[in-house]
Amino acid sequence: MSAAGLIKTVFFTLITVGFFFIIWVYNPFAHKEVYELPEEAARIVGDPKAALEGRELFKQSCSSCHSVRYDGVYLMSVEAKPEWQKILKTMGKPILETQDGKVKIKGYYLPRDVYEAVALQDLENLKASFGKVPPDLSTIYLARGPGYLYQFIMDPQKVLPGTSMPKLFFPEYDKEAPQKVAKIVAYLRSVSEPSPSEKAKRLVMGVATVGYFILMGFILWFYRKRVLEKMGIS
Amino acid sequence: MEATRRDFLGFALGGMGVIGALGVLYPVIRTLAPSAASTTEAKVEIDVNKVPEMGLRVTSWKGKPLFVIKLPEGFEGKYSYDVKDTTNDAGKLNKDLFKGRNIFAVIGVCTHLGCIPLWKPEGDADLASPHLHCPCHGGIYTPWGDVVAGPPPRPLWVPPQRFEGNKLVVGEPGFVERLV
Amino acid sequence: MLRRIAAWIDERAKVGDLYREQMIEYKVPKNLTFPYVFGVLALITFALQIVSGIILIMYYKPVIAHAFDSTNYTIMREIDFGWLFRHIHAAGANFFLAIVYLHMFTGIYYNAYKKPRELVWIVGWVIYFTLLVTALTGYLLPWGQLSYWGTVVTTEIPASLADAPVLKGIFGAIGETISIWMKGGYKLEDLALGRFFGLHVVFLPLILLGLVAIHLFLVRAAGISNPEGYEIDKKNEPEKLVPFHPYVTLKEGAIAMWYLALFFFFVFFYMSHFLPADNFEPADPLKTPPHIAPEWYLLGFYEVFRSIPSKFWGFVAFNLILLLLLLLPFLDFSPLRSARRRPLFFVMFLVFVISSMALTILGTMSPTPTNAKLGMFFTALVFLFFLSLPVISFVEWGWYKARGGQA
Repeated sequence: MSAAGLIKTVFFTLITVGFFFIIWVYNPFAHKEVYELPEEAARIVGDPKAALEGRELFKQSCSSCHSVRYDGVYLMSVEAKPEWQKILKTMGKPILETQDGKVKIKGYYLPRDVYEAVALQDLENLKASFGKVPPDLSTIYLARGPGYLYQFIMDPQKVLPGTSMPKLFFPEYDKEAPQKVAKIVAYLRSVSEPSPSEKAKRLVMGVATVGYFILMGFILWFYRKRVLEKMGIS
Repeated sequence: MEATRRDFLGFALGGMGVIGALGVLYPVIRTLAPSAASTTEAKVEIDVNKVPEMGLRVTSWKGKPLFVIKLPEGFEGKYSYDVKDTTNDAGKLNKDLFKGRNIFAVIGVCTHLGCIPLWKPEGDADLASPHLHCPCHGGIYTPWGDVVAGPPPRPLWVPPQRFEGNKLVVGEPGFVERLV
Repeated sequence: MLRRIAAWIDERAKVGDLYREQMIEYKVPKNLTFPYVFGVLALITFALQIVSGIILIMYYKPVIAHAFDSTNYTIMREIDFGWLFRHIHAAGANFFLAIVYLHMFTGIYYNAYKKPRELVWIVGWVIYFTLLVTALTGYLLPWGQLSYWGTVVTTEIPASLADAPVLKGIFGAIGETISIWMKGGYKLEDLALGRFFGLHVVFLPLILLGLVAIHLFLVRAAGISNPEGYEIDKKNEPEKLVPFHPYVTLKEGAIAMWYLALFFFFVFFYMSHFLPADNFEPADPLKTPPHIAPEWYLLGFYEVFRSIPSKFWGFVAFNLILLLLLLLPFLDFSPLRSARRRPLFFVMFLVFVISSMALTILGTMSPTPTNAKLGMFFTALVFLFFLSLPVISFVEWGWYKARGGQA
C-alpha cells in the first residue's frame, strides 16, 4: 500500500470510529444532567439485602400513591379491597422468586387494563388530590437512574420544582432518612435489574460469545491462508 | 506436520461451527420453554362439603384440570369393574391407593392423548356403572381412574393429597405421598 | 449414506452445478478493499433482525394497554432469554443502519453507482428508504415515552408543508393528509399502533427481502465494481481475478466473525444507547420528555430540517437530499470512476462525509442560534457536494478527451 493510501485508510478509519464513538458511546456535546449519588447511598443501592428492606419501606411509605406492578406491589387502598386476592389469583400471573433454592410466589402481576379497571376509583382519587396519577414505578430505575431517584426522593422540589410529590424523609428529624431513601432506591433497582446471579450468568455468556466470534474469525483466517497456499494464490 | 496442522484447523472449524450452532439454538429453544409461572399453583384446597355425592368438581392444579370426586358410602360393594391390567407409578391400581376413601382427587387428563374425560354418574350404553369416559378415543375409566377399556396405557394420574378437617388439600403429601 | 442422499438430491436439483457456477467459477477482482465487506455484513445483520424479530413477535402485544408491559415484563423478565433477543433486535437495528450507511458511502467513494450499475444503486436507495421506514415503525412498538413522542414529531413533519410560501391551502391539505394517514387518525392510538405493527412485522420485511434479492441479483448481473475504477477484462487479465469461494468467502467470513464479536459486545455489555433510558417510561400523551430527538440515523436530516428557519424549506431541503442521493448516478456523468483516480471528486467526497457527520452530531446538541448557523453551513456543503458533481464531470470529460479517451 502506498503512503497516500495508508494515510487515507487511517483517516477514514479514524473518522468512522470516532463518529460512532460519539453517537453511540460517549457524546461530549449532548446535554446531560448528572445527579450525584453519595458514596454510602451508592453502597446501599448495590446491596441486595438492602433491597429487601427497601421493599418493606416502600410498602409503608410509598404504596399509598405508587404501585410496582412488575413486583406485585399495588396501591394500599387497592390491596385492602375484599375481592383483591381473588382478582390477583384469577386475572394475574404469579411472579416467582427463588429463595434458598425453593421457588416461591412473591406476588402477582396483573395486566395494566385489569389493574386500572379495578383501581379506577382509587386512581381517580389520587388524580384529584395530586393533579395526575402518580406513576407506576416498575421501570423507573431504568428511566431515571439511582442518582436522580435518590436526590428526588430526598427533596422532590429541589430536583423537579412544582412536582406534586411530597417530601417524605426529613434528615433533620430522622437520622436514618438518607439510608432509608437509599434502601428504597435499592428496592427499585432490584425490580428493574436482573438479579446478581442472573447478571453473573449474562456476563459469562457475553464473554463466551464475544470470545467465540473472535476465535472463530482467527480460525477462518488461518484456514483461508492454508487453502489459498494450496491453490497457489497468494 | 503439515497434514496435522491442516487437520487441526479443519477440526477446529467444524467443532467451533457445531458449538456455534448449538449456542444459537439453546437460547431460541429456551424462549419457547414453558413459563415457570404457569405451573406454580402448588397447593389447592377444596371444601369437600360442597361436593355433592356422586358429584365431580373440577378445579385446577399446576395448570391441569383436577377432578375431585365424592362417592357414596358402600359404593365399592355396589359396582364392580372389569379393570385392565395397568398400574400407576406406585405399581398399584388407583383404587388400592385410595384405600377405600370415598373422597379423592385425580388429574382429569386422559393418559392416552390428553383429552379431558367426561363424568358419567349414571353410566351409559358402553358401561352401565358410573365411570369416566374420554370423548376423544373412547377410553373408559373407573371413578378412581383405573382403565376399564379403550386405548389409555395407564390409570389417571393422582396428585399428592391429604385431609385437613373437611378440606382436601391437593399438592401436599398425605394419604397419597407423591404424584403417581 | 449421507453422501448417497446428497448425490440423489444433486442429481435432481443440480445444486452442485449452481454452487460451482455461483461460488467457484464466479470470479471477482483480487484487489477488493476492506469496505467491500459491508454488503455482506448488512446481509448478516438483516438475518439477525429477522430471527430475533420472529422471537419477539411471539410475545409482543400490539395493544396500547399491553405494548409496554409485553416488552418490558413479558419479554425482558418472563421469557427465558427474551432480553437477549430484544437486545439483539435493538442493537441490530442500529448496526443495520450503520452498516448500510457505510455501504452507501463506500459505493459513493468507489463510484459503484455508475454504468452499468445504476440500477444497483437505485434499488439500494429504495432498500435504504424502506429500512428507514421500518426503523421508524419499529420504534413506536415498545410504547415508551421516546417511542410515542418520536413518532408524534415524525408524523407532524409532513404538516410543515402548510408553511409553503405559495399555494398554502393545497400544500397544507397534502401535508395534513399524509400526517393523518401515517397516524391512522388525529391521535396516536391503538389504530396507529396496529398499523405500525403490521407494517413493521410483515409488509416492510417482505418488501425488504424482495428488494435485497433484486439488489444481489443486479450486483451479480453487472459484476462487482473495482476500487481502481475500471472493468477487468476477463480474457486478458485472468491474474487479476480470483474465485469468489474460497478467496472472498473465507476472508469476509473471518471479518464477519469479528464484526459479530463487536456486535455481541454491545448486546451483552453496552445497551444504554440502543435501549435509551427515557423509553423505559410508558408513553404519556400529556407529557413530552425534555429532550426529544430522532434516532441518530435520522439526525442528519433532522438537523437540516431544524436549522433552516422556514419549516417548509426545511422539509423541502431534507427531501431534496434524499432525492439527490437517488439521482446520484445521473448527476455524476464523468467517464472517470473511483475517488482513487478523481482528485476533485475525492475532495468533494471528504466535504460530504464530514458534513454528514457534523450534521448528525449537531443534531444531538441543543438548538442554539450558533448551532443553527453551523447546521445551515453544513447543509450548504452537502448541497455543494451534489451540485459539484455535474461540474466535476464536465471538467473530467475535458481531461478524458485531452488524453484521447483514456481513463
